Amino acid sequence: MMTKILIIALLLLISLWYLSFLATRLDRLHHRVETSWANLDVLLQKRAAVALEIAHSDIADPASSLLLTGAAYQARDADIQNRSAAESGLSGALGLLLEDSQHLATAADNALLTELSALTDKIRVAIAIHTDAVTRTQMVRSKFVVKIFRLSGTAPLPVTYEFESDVL
Amino acid sequence: MLSRSLKIGIVCPYSWDTPGGVQNHIRDLAEFLIASGHQVSVLAPAISDDNLPSYVVNAGKPISIPYNGAVARVLFGPVAFSRVRQWISAGEFDLLHLHEPAIPSISLLACWAADGPMVGTFHAAAKRQKIIFAIGPILEPAIEKLSARIAVSEAARLTLTDHLETDAVVIPNGIYASRYHNGMPQEKWQGNTIGFIGRFEEPRKGLSVLLEALPVIARFAPDVKVFVAGPGDPSEVQEHIDPQLRHRFTFLGKISEEEKANFMSSVSIYVAPNTGGESFGIILAEALAGGACVVASDIPAFDDLLGHGEFGALFKSEDPTDLAKVIIDLLRNDTKRADLALAGRARGQSFDWENVANQIYSVYEMSIVGSEKVKLVSDNRSWNRFLAKDDK
Repeated sequence: MMTKILIIALLLLISLWYLSFLATRLDRLHHRVETSWANLDVLLQKRAAVALEIAHSDIADPASSLLLTGAAYQARDADIQNRSAAESGLSGALGLLLEDSQHLATAADNALLTELSALTDKIRVAIAIHTDAVTRTQMVRSKFVVKIFRLSGTAPLPVTYEFESDVL
Repeated sequence: MLSRSLKIGIVCPYSWDTPGGVQNHIRDLAEFLIASGHQVSVLAPAISDDNLPSYVVNAGKPISIPYNGAVARVLFGPVAFSRVRQWISAGEFDLLHLHEPAIPSISLLACWAADGPMVGTFHAAAKRQKIIFAIGPILEPAIEKLSARIAVSEAARLTLTDHLETDAVVIPNGIYASRYHNGMPQEKWQGNTIGFIGRFEEPRKGLSVLLEALPVIARFAPDVKVFVAGPGDPSEVQEHIDPQLRHRFTFLGKISEEEKANFMSSVSIYVAPNTGGESFGIILAEALAGGACVVASDIPAFDDLLGHGEFGALFKSEDPTDLAKVIIDLLRNDTKRADLALAGRARGQSFDWENVANQIYSVYEMSIVGSEKVKLVSDNRSWNRFLAKDDK
C-alpha cells in the first residue's frame, strides 16, 4: 500500500515537473517570437527610411521616385493586416529601381545602395530567425498536453506573414 | 562593424590541443572579434594548460568517444557541468556562441545551463543518424533556446533540418584571404603540377582516387608531377603507387601557412578528391583565394562551395576515370584553367573573415536586442527568484 502511494506521488511530481518544464519552454519560445519580430520590424522600418532617401536622391528618376515614395510610406504606416502587402510592394519597387540603376549611380548614391544591400542581407537573416521561432512555437503549441492544460495562457498563436517568403 | 563592445562567450566542444576545423574556426573568430574591440572568452576542453592562448579557459581533460565515424575528443559529466556553470555565472556575457550544440559535449551543457541570448553554429554534415532519433526529444528543448542558428554550409543546414526540424542561417567558415592573395609562385611547384593538401592517410580524403587516376593522366601529360602536403607517413602510400610513377610524387610533409599560400599560387591544379564526411571544405576556399584552379569531387559541400562548377571543376566522387578526364582537359586548355582560377579567386575573397565575421556579428546583434545578459537557468527559476527576494 505504502509503495503504491509513493509511486503515485512520484508520478504526480514528475508530471507536475513536466508541465512546468513545458510551460517555461513555451514562455521562452513566445519571448523569442516577440524579440525576433521586434528585430525584423525595426529593420523593415529602416528599409523604408532608406527607400525614402533613395527616392529623394538622384538615383531615382521622377516616376520611380513617386512609386518608391508611395510604397515606402505605405510600408511604414501599414497596420498589421496590410503590412504583408505593403512590404512586398516596397520590395517590388526597390527591385525595379535597382535592376537598372547599378551603372549610373555616383559615389554618394552608392553609399545609399550599399546601405540598402547590407540592410537587405540583415532582413533576410531576421526573417529566417523569426520564421523559425514561429514554427517552433506552433509545433510545441500543437502538442496535446499543451492544449489540454492551456499552458500557453493568453499569448496569441504566432503567425507567419505572407511577405516573409517574398519580401526580397 | 562595431556599435558597442560586447562580452562574448564562445564554447568549443572539442579538445583545443587537437587540430580540427571547428577549433581553427573558433580561434580565428575569437581573434578577429578581439581585434575589433570585443571581449571574448573561449571555454574549451584541453589536455594541458600550457600553450593555451590567454582568451581560452580550460574546462577539463577531454574524453575520447567514437562519433560520426571518427574519434571525437569531447567533455561532459557532472564536474564539467559545474565548470560550465561557473564560467557562465562568472563571465557576465552579453551573448553565448555555442559550437556544435547537438554533440554530447560542453556546448550542449552550456545550452542546458544558460538562459539569455545564445547563438549556435552547426558544423557537421552527416547522413541521417539513428542515434539522433533516440535523443532528439531531449535535444530539442535545449536547441530551441538558441535565439539564432548558423550552419556553415548548405549541407550542414540540411543535416540540421533533417535531424532536428529546425532551420538555420547559412554563414560560411572564414579564411584570411589576404594571406593567400599574397602567395608567391614558386618555380619548383610550377609546370604541369597537381597539388593535394591534407591528412592523406585518411581514406575519406581520397588520395587513392588520385593515385588510380594518375596512370591515365600521365599517358596524356607525360611531365605531370604531383605534390602531396600534409602530416602523415608517406611510406605506406608509396607502396601502393605503381613503381614507374613513383618518381612523379613528392611528399612535402606538413607545410607552414606561408608555404601553403605559395603552394596554392604555384600549382596548376589543386585537387580535392574527398569521398565524403566533409561539411564545408575550408581548404578549397583557401585554394580559391590563392588563385589555384580547383578540381574537386562532387560531394554536396564541394558542389555548393564551387557554385556547381562555376568556380572550379567537379568530377564524379570516387570515380578515377572521370577525375583523369577533368584534369587532362584542364591541363591541355590553358585559357579554361586561367578562367576558372580567376572566377575562383573572387569566390575565395567572399570567405574573407572581414565579410564572414560581419555576417556573424549581425546575427549577434539580432539575438541581443531586447534581451538581458546571459544567466544561469537556475537563477531564473521562480522559486529561486522568490527566495532571493526574501533575502532582501
